[in-house]
Amino acid sequence: MRKIISILTMLAAIAALGCNGSGSKTGKKKLTIAVIPKGTSHEFWKSIHAGSIKAARELSAQGEEVELIWKGPLREDDREQQIQVVEGFTSQGVDGMVLAPLDDRALARPVEEAKSARVPTVIIDSAIQSNSIISFVATDNRQGGVLAADRLGQLLGGKGKVILLRYAEGSASTMEREEGFLSEIKQKFPGIELISTDQYAGATRDTAKRSSENLLNRFGDEVQGIFTPNESSTAGMLSALQDIGKAGKVTFVGFDTSQMFIDALRARQLHGIVVQNPFNMGYLGVRTLVESLQGKTVEKRIDTGVIMITPDNLDAAETQALLHPPLDQYLK
Amino acid sequence: MVADTKSIPAISRSNFARTWLNRLGPLLGLMLVIAVFAILIGTPERYLSLKNIRTVLAQTVIVAIGAIGMTMIIISGGIDLSVGSAIALTGVITALGINAGFSPTVALCAGILVGCFVGLMNGLAITRLRVVPFIATLGMLGVARGVAKGIAGSQTVNMPETWVNNLLLTVPRPAWLLVAPGVWIAIALAVIAAIVLRNTVFGRRVFALGSNEAAARACGIATDRLKIYIYALAGLLFGLAGVMQTSRLRQGDPTVAAGLELDIIAAVVIGGGSLKGGEGSIFGSMIGALIMAFLRNGCQQVGWPNYIQEIIIGALIVIAVAVDRWRSSRGALA
Repeated sequence: MRKIISILTMLAAIAALGCNGSGSKTGKKKLTIAVIPKGTSHEFWKSIHAGSIKAARELSAQGEEVELIWKGPLREDDREQQIQVVEGFTSQGVDGMVLAPLDDRALARPVEEAKSARVPTVIIDSAIQSNSIISFVATDNRQGGVLAADRLGQLLGGKGKVILLRYAEGSASTMEREEGFLSEIKQKFPGIELISTDQYAGATRDTAKRSSENLLNRFGDEVQGIFTPNESSTAGMLSALQDIGKAGKVTFVGFDTSQMFIDALRARQLHGIVVQNPFNMGYLGVRTLVESLQGKTVEKRIDTGVIMITPDNLDAAETQALLHPPLDQYLK
Repeated sequence: MVADTKSIPAISRSNFARTWLNRLGPLLGLMLVIAVFAILIGTPERYLSLKNIRTVLAQTVIVAIGAIGMTMIIISGGIDLSVGSAIALTGVITALGINAGFSPTVALCAGILVGCFVGLMNGLAITRLRVVPFIATLGMLGVARGVAKGIAGSQTVNMPETWVNNLLLTVPRPAWLLVAPGVWIAIALAVIAAIVLRNTVFGRRVFALGSNEAAARACGIATDRLKIYIYALAGLLFGLAGVMQTSRLRQGDPTVAAGLELDIIAAVVIGGGSLKGGEGSIFGSMIGALIMAFLRNGCQQVGWPNYIQEIIIGALIVIAVAVDRWRSSRGALA
């Protein structure tokens, strides 16, 4: 009996907080759109959140009122929790979802069930193995690898010995970057010799540093150029180079961004980083979904762009806007 | 003397009423949760629609099946912290089995049996090695998770499309089932377990063990063997929960269900189970699992952020345990 009373008091207290604000207004029907990231604490997802809010505000200003619901899985990176969120929005009957799936298989069923319940989905960031989606809005990872190869090839003058430290087995996005890098080097810079392309950095900075150290022990004297395809592999390689005093002496191009990389760019220990545009991903994800809801035809695959950041363009306005998206303006 | 004879039936009547209130308490709590959210959301017809209810039911199945096993363990005065890991391990086994070309039935049985084996190991560690259940199963939490990652090669194990994938579809196939087949399986198991606990010698011994182990032993119950049976039997159910998890994900994921043991224990405790042993009911635990699932679903539909959801469920667990303590201290006085 006490238990019931306690639950009642608790729920009443929460209700009294006045969190609910679902006052339906008259006029044109408001579109309710759910945006579901993989997690909520990382900077990357905050940028996506800010971008999606920008799209919602713009659309509302154009007379297409959009209400955005931002909700990640309860436990970060937990597939089951993300499935429950998708299912919840499906039975709630939102007008559409923008989803960054934690897994290309596990999220396929909920997305298909959503489609049969007339809730369309736009996929962002990572691919999903399903045709029941409106569009796939994400970085062209292959293009990112190509950019890195161009930068490295130019800095080395088209010749020299180069190492590719791969990220991890079975990660689709980084494999595309690696393949893009390799094919561009082979095509455009035949003078460059690839002395190691079969080593993996592993999942964390720590494992990346260890395999970097092993690689540098073996090839440290002859290597002239290095490419690493994501944040952790770049960080691991960078600190391994710093430890043996080789940072700055080897031409090094990485992927993704962190404050450590920016400092290394300024110190000319890193010669370029390929950076994705999560803000644009959130923005285009929501816009694409709304356009589709309005009955317009949309592209099945939308590229959100990658750019090469070098010590030279680091302070350009465009680069700074990408590195520091206006989060405060949208997330308050 | 006269007053005494009169007071006896009166006391037993109030005891009777209290027992029923205790039993129905969780159910009233569930109805309250549903009612409050139906009002808060503003569109009760959608919150209470068949579509939403069968979604919530499908989401409850894994915790519910786990809670059936956990109820038996908690009634016997034990605890099992390794459930989440066991679910991951058995799910990976099932996926590997189907991948290796075995029939889904064989793979499914293999998963369930591995769950049973994990439970058996827990039981042996508790009785033969004399390690308290909390520590023994805490150890197994790590061991089972590690083995799951090891045999899966630290990756998810994708598997081809089979009927296993359809066990927990929110829109069931065939449609006349109304809810997912897994929901019916959970209901059937709950009914069987409730009857076993209430009406069989085994069931009464589980209660006796949890109420007073020394007395149970003095009465001639082989308590060690009984404990091994309980953990192994619960392990079977955890294995089935692992199969259900794999069905939902369509893959064996060695990292899934981390922390799920806490949800399962919470379901049992909210449903009136006492961590001191000797108390608890399958019916209550099922209601406990449903309360948490409806809370989650409701919070999402009202549009509350995750942190409020976590605060509510956390507070609910503490309150439920506080009520449990309060009730057992009153029981000791009476």
